[in-house]
Amino acid sequence: MRSLLKNIMLLLVLFIAVQTQAIANPSIDVVELKQPNSNKVVFKIRFGNGSVADPSDKKGLTFATASLMSQGGAGGLSYADIQDKMKPWAASYFAAVDKQVTTFTFQVPVDFVDEFYPLLKNVLLSPDFSEKDFTRVMKAQQNYVDQVVRASSDENYSKFALEDQLFRGGNMQSLVQGTSASVEGISLDEIKAQYQKAFTRNNVMLGIAGNYSPELLKTFKTDMAKLPDMKFTPVPPSKAKTAEGIEVEIIAKKGAFGSAIFTGAPLAITRADDDFAALMIANSWMGEHRKSYSRLYQKIRQTRSMNYGDYSYIEWYSQGGGNQLPPSGVPRASNYWAIWIRPVQIASQLKSQYPELADIDVGHAHFALRMAIREFDLMIKNGMSEAAFEATKTFLRSYTKLYAQSPAQQLGWLMDSRFYGRKDYLAELDVLLKNTTLEQVNAALRKHWQTDNMFVTIITDESEAQPLADSLINNTASPMSYSNLVKSGLPAEVLAEDDLVAVYPLNIKKVNIVQSADTFQ
Amino acid sequence: MKTITKAIVTGLLLLAAGQSFAADSAQSEKILPYPIYQHKLANGLNVVTVPFDSPGLASFHIVTRVGARNEVEPGVTGFAHFFEHMMFRGTDNYSKDEYAAALKSTGAAANANTTQDRTDYHMIGSADKLDLMFELESDRFLNLKYSEHEFKTEAGAVKGEYTKNFASPYSQINEKRSETAFTTHTYSHTTMGYFDDIVDMPNQYEYSKTFFDRYYRPEYNTVLVVGDVTPEQVNALAEKYFGKWERGSYVSVVPEEPEQTETRYVHLQNDSIPAYFSMSFKGPAFSDSAIDMPALDVLASIVFSNTSDLSKKLVIEEQKIRFIGGGAFDSRDPGLFTIQVSMVDKADMPYAMAEIEKAIEKVKTQDVNPEILASTKSNLKYTFAMGIDTPGSIARSLSHYIQLTGDPESINRLYALYDKVTAEDVRMVANKYFNMDHLTIATISDDELGALK
Repeated sequence: MRSLLKNIMLLLVLFIAVQTQAIANPSIDVVELKQPNSNKVVFKIRFGNGSVADPSDKKGLTFATASLMSQGGAGGLSYADIQDKMKPWAASYFAAVDKQVTTFTFQVPVDFVDEFYPLLKNVLLSPDFSEKDFTRVMKAQQNYVDQVVRASSDENYSKFALEDQLFRGGNMQSLVQGTSASVEGISLDEIKAQYQKAFTRNNVMLGIAGNYSPELLKTFKTDMAKLPDMKFTPVPPSKAKTAEGIEVEIIAKKGAFGSAIFTGAPLAITRADDDFAALMIANSWMGEHRKSYSRLYQKIRQTRSMNYGDYSYIEWYSQGGGNQLPPSGVPRASNYWAIWIRPVQIASQLKSQYPELADIDVGHAHFALRMAIREFDLMIKNGMSEAAFEATKTFLRSYTKLYAQSPAQQLGWLMDSRFYGRKDYLAELDVLLKNTTLEQVNAALRKHWQTDNMFVTIITDESEAQPLADSLINNTASPMSYSNLVKSGLPAEVLAEDDLVAVYPLNIKKVNIVQSADTFQ
Repeated sequence: MKTITKAIVTGLLLLAAGQSFAADSAQSEKILPYPIYQHKLANGLNVVTVPFDSPGLASFHIVTRVGARNEVEPGVTGFAHFFEHMMFRGTDNYSKDEYAAALKSTGAAANANTTQDRTDYHMIGSADKLDLMFELESDRFLNLKYSEHEFKTEAGAVKGEYTKNFASPYSQINEKRSETAFTTHTYSHTTMGYFDDIVDMPNQYEYSKTFFDRYYRPEYNTVLVVGDVTPEQVNALAEKYFGKWERGSYVSVVPEEPEQTETRYVHLQNDSIPAYFSMSFKGPAFSDSAIDMPALDVLASIVFSNTSDLSKKLVIEEQKIRFIGGGAFDSRDPGLFTIQVSMVDKADMPYAMAEIEKAIEKVKTQDVNPEILASTKSNLKYTFAMGIDTPGSIARSLSHYIQLTGDPESINRLYALYDKVTAEDVRMVANKYFNMDHLTIATISDDELGALK
C-alpha cells in the first residue's frame, strides 16, 4: 500500500512536472513547470522585496527601480533597441511590484528563446540606469501619484485610500508607487543603490514554465546566481491597525458622480493557515468577487438596484474592476478583510433625476454601508446554513481550478505557494476545502470577523461629503430613497427589511472629510 | 459595457495585432492551429466547436450579434447592453434565485459583455458540466421571463455601471468623440447609451419584449464551445437544447453615415489628468476579403506603436508625450481609425499633432522599410500564437470574428491576408483613409476650449 501510494505520488509529481531544485547556490529557490507541448517559455524572477522595504522618506523606490530595469536600456542596448529587437518575436517582459514581492515576467515563443534570453539576462544583471531613462520613467511615476490614481477610477481610489487608513504610520500604508513628495525626492543614485541592496541573489526565487531545454534552465540558474550578492534582510510588513469603533474617511472630489465605498478590518490569517479555507467558504457565500449569487450582490444590487455590484474579500485582490479571477503575484503576510461597495448614487444626482426625491440631503452611501455591515452581523450571529455551506464548498472546489489556466498563471500560483510555505497551494486548497466542515466555517467566521471596529473610506462628490459625514456621525436614520418607479413594485418584505436597515446602528466614532488633493501626499 | 477608452483601444490593438500566423500542423494553411467545426441547425443557429487540449475544461460562449449598432430608434440607446443584464433575471423554469443557484452549481466563471456590434455571454468551467451549461443557456435564450418590476430594478444597476465608468475622463471624451464623429449612424452613441436614456430605461418594459422577440433568435446567435469537448458531443447538446428555438424574421436597418466634409472638434475641460488629444479618421468596415483592414493594422504598428519612429522621438528621446497609440477599430460598419496621445505638457499639443501629421504624410508618400514590414508581420503572427494558450483566450478570439462576419473562419481568411500586405498596400490605405475632411479631433485639458482648433 505504501509503495502504491509512493508511486501515485511520484506520478502526480511527474504529471504536473513541478519540482524544486537546489542549485549551486542553495539559497536560490527554483520553480519548474515543464510543458513540452507549449509553444512558449515563461520566466519569472521574483524578489522577496516590495514597497515595504522602501525607506520611509523614499516611498516608491522599489517601484522606480523595477520600472527603470524593465523600461530602460540594458547591456548596452537602449530601451528602443530592445523593443525593436523583440518586435518580430512578439516577446515581452514587465515588472510587477507589490508590497512584499517584485516579479519580473518574460515571455517568448519557443522559436526565439535563445535569441531572447540574453536580453533577459541583461535586464536583470546589467541594467543601464541611464539619466535619460530615469527622467522618463520618473515622470510617469510622479504623474501616477499626482493625478492618475485619483482620476481614473474612484473604485480603485477608495481601495488604496482604505489601505492608507488601515496601515497609517506603517510600511504597508503607502501606494507601491509612493507619494507625491517621496517620488519627487528619489534620485538615480538611490535607485542604483536599491538595485544592489534589494534585487539580490539572496532574496530571489526563479520560475520557468513551458517548452524549455535543460541547457537553458542551467544557464538561467547560473546567470541569476550572478545577481548582486549583498545580504538582504527582509523587512516585515506592518500589521493592519484596529480601528477605534468605526472610523470613516470621506474623500471629497470635484465632479464625482457617485459614492465609492471600501471598508475593512485586520485579519490574522493568510493562505498559510488551514483556517483560511474555512473563511474562504464563508466569504464566497457572502461576497464572491463579481458573482451574482453572493449575498451582498443579491441584497444591494439585485433586489435594490443600488449599484453595479458588492463583494467581500479576505485577502488583497488586485485590479478587481478588470479581473474576473484572482491574479497571482500579490502574496502578502499582513492581511485584512474588506467589503467593496461599488459607487452608489449621491443626492444631487438622484434629485436631478426624480422629482419625488427633491427633498433628500444624502444619497445611498449610508444605507448601503448599513446594509453590508448588517449582513455580516447576521452571518456572524446565525452562521452559514448546511445547504449554503455545501453549495459554496462545491462551487469553490470547481472554481478555484480556474485560477491557473495559462502557463504564466500556473507558474505564478506555484511561486505564490512558496511565499506561504506551501508547495502547490491550489492543490492543497482543494483538499482543505474538501475536508472543511460547517462547524469549522462557522467557528472561523466568528473568530475572524467583527464589525465594531472598522475603517471605512468613501470617495464622493464635494456636495455629498458634509451631509454624508453628518448622517454617519449622528447615526441618523437613512431610509432608502427609491425612485417611485422601483419602489412601487418592491415586495413588502423588502420594504420591511429596509426599515430595519435604515436605523441599523453602526459603531461610528469618527468621521473625517479629506480633500482629494490632500490624499497620498 | 465596454467603452473605447485608451485601455480598450490598446487592448483592441493587441487583439488586432494577433492576426497572422501560419501554424506548423495539419492546419498549416491556417492561422488558428486547431480545426474549427461548424454545424448549422435547421433553425439557422450556428454551432461552433474547437477541441483544445485543456483537460477537464471548456469555454462556452453564445455570441448574439446585436449591440449598440442595432439601437436605431430614438430614446433607447444603451438597450442592447441593458438587455444583457436582463438575461440574468430568470425564466419560468428557473426563477432568478434558482438560476443563480444553478449557475453556482456549475462552478464556472460566467459573465457577459456588450460592444457596439454584439453581446457575448460566456462561461468557463468543468467540461463535465457542459450539459448543465447548455440547459441553463438555452432556457434563458428561449424562455426568458421577467416582471415589469424586475425590469425597472435592473435599470438601477446599469446606472450604477455608468456611474463607475464616469469617473474616468477617458470615458467622458469617448462619449463625446462618438457623438461628434457620427451624425447619423448608431455608432454615434456608446454601448452604455446616453445618460438620459439610461435614466429613462425603467419606462421601456414593452420595448424590452420587442427587443427580445427581434434578436434573441437563432439567426442572430452562434453557440461556441472550445476545450475538452468533441464536435459530436457539442452538436448533440445543441440539437437537444436549441433545436426547438424558433427562427425570427426581423431585419435591423442601420442608417448609413453620410460622408464627412470637414474636420470636427470636441473638447472636455478637465484638470484631473494630463492633457490628451485624439485624431479619429473614418475607417473601413471589417472585411475578411479586402486588404484595407490588414494593411491599416500593419500601418498602425509601424507608425503609431511603441516601436514607431514617432514614439521613439516623442516619448523616449524628447519626452514631450507620455503615450502614443493608434489603430483601426474592427466594426461591422465603417468605424474609426483613432490615434491617441497623452501629453507631458499641454503646450506641446500643437507640436505633437504636427509631428503626427508629418508621419502621416510620410506613410502616404514613401514606402515603409521592407525590414520593418517583415518584422511587423512576424510580430502580428507570433502575438497571436502567444495569446492562445487557454480555451477562454481562443474562444474570445473566435467570438470577435463571429461578431463581425458570423463566421469564425474569418480568423483564418483575415490572417492569410496579413501575409499579403505590401508596402504599396500600406501607402494605398494611408492615402485612402487619412483624409483631413474625415477627421475628428478630441481634446482634454484644463482649458475651456481645445488647443488644436
